[in-house]
Amino acid sequence: MGILEVNQLYKRFGSHEVLRGLDMDIPEHSIFGFVGQNGAGKTTTMKIILGLLKPDSGTVTVCGEKVAYGETKTNRSIGFLPDVPEFYGYMTAREYLKLCGEITGLAKTGIKSKSEELLELVGLKDEKKKISGFSRGMKQRLGIAQALLNEPKLLICDEPTSALDPIGRKEILDILSAAKGKTTIVFSTHILSDVERICDRIAVLHDGKLALCGTLSEIKERRRHNGFVIEFDSERTACLFENAEELKHPSVSLSRNENTVTVLLTDRSIDGLFLLRVLSQKCIVPLKFTVVEPTLESLFMEAIR
Amino acid sequence: MKGYLTFLKKELIEYAKTYKLLIMLIVFSVFGITNPLVAKLTPQILRSFMTDDIVINWPEPAACDAWEQFFKNATQMGLIVMVILFSGVLSSELSRGTLINLLTKGLSRTSVILSKYTCMVLVWTVSIALCFGLTFGYTAYLFPEDDVSNLLFSVFCLWLFGLFLLAALMISAALTRTGYGCMLMTGVIVVICMLVNIIPAAHGYNPVSLAADNMGLITNSTEVSSLYSAIFISFLLSLLFVSLSVRIFRKKQL
Repeated sequence: MGILEVNQLYKRFGSHEVLRGLDMDIPEHSIFGFVGQNGAGKTTTMKIILGLLKPDSGTVTVCGEKVAYGETKTNRSIGFLPDVPEFYGYMTAREYLKLCGEITGLAKTGIKSKSEELLELVGLKDEKKKISGFSRGMKQRLGIAQALLNEPKLLICDEPTSALDPIGRKEILDILSAAKGKTTIVFSTHILSDVERICDRIAVLHDGKLALCGTLSEIKERRRHNGFVIEFDSERTACLFENAEELKHPSVSLSRNENTVTVLLTDRSIDGLFLLRVLSQKCIVPLKFTVVEPTLESLFMEAIR
Repeated sequence: MKGYLTFLKKELIEYAKTYKLLIMLIVFSVFGITNPLVAKLTPQILRSFMTDDIVINWPEPAACDAWEQFFKNATQMGLIVMVILFSGVLSSELSRGTLINLLTKGLSRTSVILSKYTCMVLVWTVSIALCFGLTFGYTAYLFPEDDVSNLLFSVFCLWLFGLFLLAALMISAALTRTGYGCMLMTGVIVVICMLVNIIPAAHGYNPVSLAADNMGLITNSTEVSSLYSAIFISFLLSLLFVSLSVRIFRKKQL
């Protein structure tokens, strides 16, 4: 059983149907990349998981406990980092963590030691300023600290890196990677390179449903054998190969750049062997024959098409 | 309960650090000091404008003039300042998103409403007590011989009207999304109460009477017992408004 289960979730805002039967199952101790276009419903889904929005139908279960709208019981096991976290500007980071700790019901001594540990982790240990003087990156880091304060089993981050500069982004991703062993992380984003860097599982949300879901390596494996780059010794042989009769097929698309030909096969029944046979029939020995690794971007584009 | 106390503490710190408490205390202490002073000086100021040929007999200012100032300033200006100051009680936290964080930490929505209401009541109580104390002391100093009746009861009525107004503000805040919307709706509730007062029979039951009949009480022209029903109704309505606010806020999509 997964730590977070989402079953047949439906939600509409006015006439706009955002979620139409979303199913999701997230196993423990994974970093789950939740990808989708702007407005695909990522934030809506997260807010429903947190009990802040009411779904039209469907259920959400966190750690085996059902989420009830307007109640906050299941939130004990969740840490949440909003896309643009806002805090009380008149407090310092320590004061804010103390407030959060008291609300969660941690013991006084526990709050103090845990705050120090987390401030160290996010690099705000020596910060004496009030939060109103914090930069966006600092707020984001404090956001992670407050989300991890109650040692949640599930950490939900809503686009934690989208508003940050490259250094800030790297820092946030490093912190999330460091937290991986202790908790399960669900992390929404539209920056695919971030997903590739730290996530082991990915789900693509499109049209209110999951268009793609699984571990990153699994998905890539599934789509591996459809792209090839073949390099020839001269442009003439490249042309010869490109114009071969056998390749005039609707599921084969070719593009040539000088003496390199890129082949994309959309039909599963034909694969690299087929290309090799064509080469041997034409008595051509290529200089290079490489299988193209599918990029996350190409997978994403395919999923939302 | 723990969430309630923690959040109440946070609210109090917030009022202190964002100067809202300070503004309330300054406004109400200025009223407190000027009430008796205005009562004492108004005839003298007016007299200084008169030429010698016009002689008007001004009644000598008395303690009850000071209290008239008190009930006029506190009810009109003071309550308006309070409503403006508190109108963002929920909307500011919701629009900035500061509340979301704490709600996802397990803070119950009931605690949010109850502690916010408690905090507003505390600030109002301290402010009106300060204003009353200053007016009382200064009046005793300026008009030592005068005596007024039903003073404490009259102030209690005003205080209770404040509670009713804050409950109306709370439910407005739960229903609307912006501070202006909240202010507008609170205004509408007060106006409705005033319109109801057109019907003479309703006067005895109307919360507005608690803020309107104070002078009558002091000069003994209004019976204390005539306000009992209004007190009861105000209390009941405040309770109703606050519990409805809780229910509405629990259902609110954030």
